[in-house]
Amino acid sequence: MNNDKLSSKLARIIKSAMAAAVLPIFIIYIMVAKPDYTIMNGLAHIVLPVANFAGQIVTWPIRAVGNGVKWVRETATIRSENEQLKRQLNEIMTNKYDCEVAISENKKLEHELNIIKASPFNSIVADIQFDDSAFYHTTFLINRGKKDGLSSGMVVVSFDNRLVGTIIDCGSQFCRVRALNDANTNIAVRISGTDISGFLQGNGKTKSSIGFFSDTQFVARRGLKVISSNISGILPAGIYIGEMTDEKHVDILKPNQISRVMVLQYNNQGSYK
Amino acid sequence: MYKLSLFFKQAFPFIITLILWYLAIPFWNPAGILALIPIFYYTFVKPTKFYSFFALIFCFLIDYRCNLLLLWTFLFCLFYAINGFQKYFDVSRMDNDAIHIFMLYIGIGLLVLTMGGFTFMNLVNNLWLFSWLAILYTPINAVNKWIEK
Repeated sequence: MNNDKLSSKLARIIKSAMAAAVLPIFIIYIMVAKPDYTIMNGLAHIVLPVANFAGQIVTWPIRAVGNGVKWVRETATIRSENEQLKRQLNEIMTNKYDCEVAISENKKLEHELNIIKASPFNSIVADIQFDDSAFYHTTFLINRGKKDGLSSGMVVVSFDNRLVGTIIDCGSQFCRVRALNDANTNIAVRISGTDISGFLQGNGKTKSSIGFFSDTQFVARRGLKVISSNISGILPAGIYIGEMTDEKHVDILKPNQISRVMVLQYNNQGSYK
Repeated sequence: MYKLSLFFKQAFPFIITLILWYLAIPFWNPAGILALIPIFYYTFVKPTKFYSFFALIFCFLIDYRCNLLLLWTFLFCLFYAINGFQKYFDVSRMDNDAIHIFMLYIGIGLLVLTMGGFTFMNLVNNLWLFSWLAILYTPINAVNKWIEK
């Protein structure tokens, strides 16, 4: 009995000592491995898919009920949604011919100005699994990974071709994407319709800030459109980012506003990375 | 049937943690943070065999999902070490399943998060999370106890 008590006490102290020993290791690792955290990410690449798989199995009855409720709700609203879509389609069809003319004129101008634009050869659709906006961080996970041909540095856009972010960490079945308002985001951009370039920086808030314009005389104003530029060699040029809300801020697309994205694969991927 | 119910009872701590972690919803359960309730309960209040390592993994998974480096994992190890070394109080015998220790545990984590990127919205959000976790602690543990019986 006493032996049992002693051994359980000893086991408890050993476990506590192990937990205490891990703490300085964590602190050193966080300081040393910055910013890649290769070991931590590598571990997550193994553990996360396993936990997700187990979670899918265990929670299937709950998800089945949730899907049932969703199906009923969608079925109830399908008629009004159909009418709304018809109205939207009519509006789009009215603008269609204007757009076609603009596209052909744009192509002609690009040809005359000898502009060579990178164009994606493939796009992969992915669902946003988890975004950390609830903690006011600005990365999110998507449910496609190395198995689907994705890799770090690839561009993530919304279905209306707006830039959402870039992939920073890629597991076999998922990727972590850095959104535009993340504090580590710093990308080259261009004011649409001009030659003026600048840099877009995330600040962890809802709007990213823009500055360091190539023309020092340039005064930015509300309503200007901002697109990506390839001058820093990180992003392909010409992807729409957002509209300026004042002389310093750009209204960007945030991950909590969308549920599905497209990852673009480029022919000249090696050169822009 | 008896064996099945016994297996379910033994597996329940692991299952409830997995469910609460997996069913993450941005506002109500961001990154599966509600899983911290069974993690705390089955590690400190009612220690369960082989659960500590499982809890450590899920703290790591919560951290990875919301890009928090190793915040909750670090706090878990810290509390585990302190609880193991001290003899002044026994968490497993405290009133109300040691809810005040649990509030201290999540309070420290959320305070670090608030100070890390201080904005008014961040403060409100973390206050909400603190209250929500503290409110759900008792009902979730009531379910745990009911299953144990």
